Amino acid sequence: MISLDHVSKSYRVGYKQHSVLDDISFTFPRLKSVGILGANGAGKSTLIKIIGGAEKPDTGRVIRTSKLSWPMGYSGGFQGDLTGRENARFVARIYGADFHQVEQSTTEFSELGKYFDQPLSTYSAGMKSRFAMAVSYALDFEYYLVDEALETGDARLKEKFRQVFKERRQTSSVILVSHNENTIRRNCDVAAVLTNGKLHYFEDLDEAFVMYRNILFSETAA
Amino acid sequence: MNTATSSLKHESALTIQCRVVYALILREVKSRYGRRTLGFLWALLEPLLFISLFIGIFHLMGRDSQSGIATPLFFVTGFSPFFMFRDIYPQVSACAKGNISLLMFPQVSRTDVLLATVILTSLISLAVLGVLLLACYSVGYEFQIQRPLELLGSLGLLIALGTGLGLVIGALTIRYEFISSIAGAFLGRPLFITSGLFFTADVIPAKAREYILYNPILHCIESIRSAMFASFESRYVDLPYVIYFALILNAFGLMLLGVFDRQRR
Repeated sequence: MISLDHVSKSYRVGYKQHSVLDDISFTFPRLKSVGILGANGAGKSTLIKIIGGAEKPDTGRVIRTSKLSWPMGYSGGFQGDLTGRENARFVARIYGADFHQVEQSTTEFSELGKYFDQPLSTYSAGMKSRFAMAVSYALDFEYYLVDEALETGDARLKEKFRQVFKERRQTSSVILVSHNENTIRRNCDVAAVLTNGKLHYFEDLDEAFVMYRNILFSETAA
Repeated sequence: MNTATSSLKHESALTIQCRVVYALILREVKSRYGRRTLGFLWALLEPLLFISLFIGIFHLMGRDSQSGIATPLFFVTGFSPFFMFRDIYPQVSACAKGNISLLMFPQVSRTDVLLATVILTSLISLAVLGVLLLACYSVGYEFQIQRPLELLGSLGLLIALGTGLGLVIGALTIRYEFISSIAGAFLGRPLFITSGLFFTADVIPAKAREYILYNPILHCIESIRSAMFASFESRYVDLPYVIYFALILNAFGLMLLGVFDRQRR
């Protein structure tokens, strides 16, 4: 289970305390793909970081009893001095997975060839994101955290990830944040809108989009 | 639930933490020493330089033995443990204050990264101490460790002191950035001079000794030498004082980290 229990987070902006997440309690449903819509600056990345444990909430707690991925598309946690293989092994180790299997699956999926045994710092941006994606697909997570990462890379790469992503949706849960309706429509079953520190949950995607458009519209009008 | 291909098991928090710390240590070893075979030799080089320098100076002064301990052994047992302390606290402080990108992995916590850093840095320093002592032994400076437990305990206390100091500096630096530069300027040299690297508490004038004995590192080093050599027994070691000092430092550091951790951006 991945669950938020009265989670609040605020940042100091100048002399004011700006509340980003305001007492949010929410349990992410199993085997569903949840899209979280938010305007720029609504706190989507903060929410993803708090769910993934990269940041701590001011109050409240995050319950993680299921195997949860790191925010996909983030590659900052990998060590540039180490090779792709060594980084893949490290990730396999912290998740307690069989690292031969992870290595093999990562090599195949990332199509890095001989670069798999070169330091990550020698990779291009595209290669790095291919590598990061491949490692996260090599491990079977129960929940995938995604921060709009599906939209990076070239057309062929995108297509490849969409394919795998579709497969994984049958067996895993997904938590995806985006400001883009189309991304959510393509990838998610249900949606929540993050606005003014609150999370509004909708079983029906279209209802979520209506609320989201109202927010965007009132913001541009104001 | 996906059972067909799942290679991920559910485990207790402690199992996960041990595995994560182990993985972090391996990763750090590889990135620090992996591609440079000279890596570990480099760690030996600094204490070796200092020790040679001081042996040279004391030899020129015509003093070949300090308080009953052969000069090389005297400096090895002073500098090497002190460098362990001096290597630990900045590393711990950096881990405590920094935005560690490793935290993007949900099961990696700041505590794991801190533990891995302390364990690895200590192991390397202890290995350096071991190598230097063996080197002394093999060229004829023989010794027999008198009280191994006391030796290990004193080294452990140095690790605890380094960790505690690092936590305090690191936590304060989250809130007050100038703290780390102040600590760098005002701690390094005074500790180097007052920790008994090149003297024993016994040779210090009584007036000055009263003050210098507030330095817990001096107690550790005196205790290490007493535990190692039959010919030396310090009258000033107060280990309970060091234990309390280390406990308070660590508790204070953890408390500060708890307070300031939520304020970081």
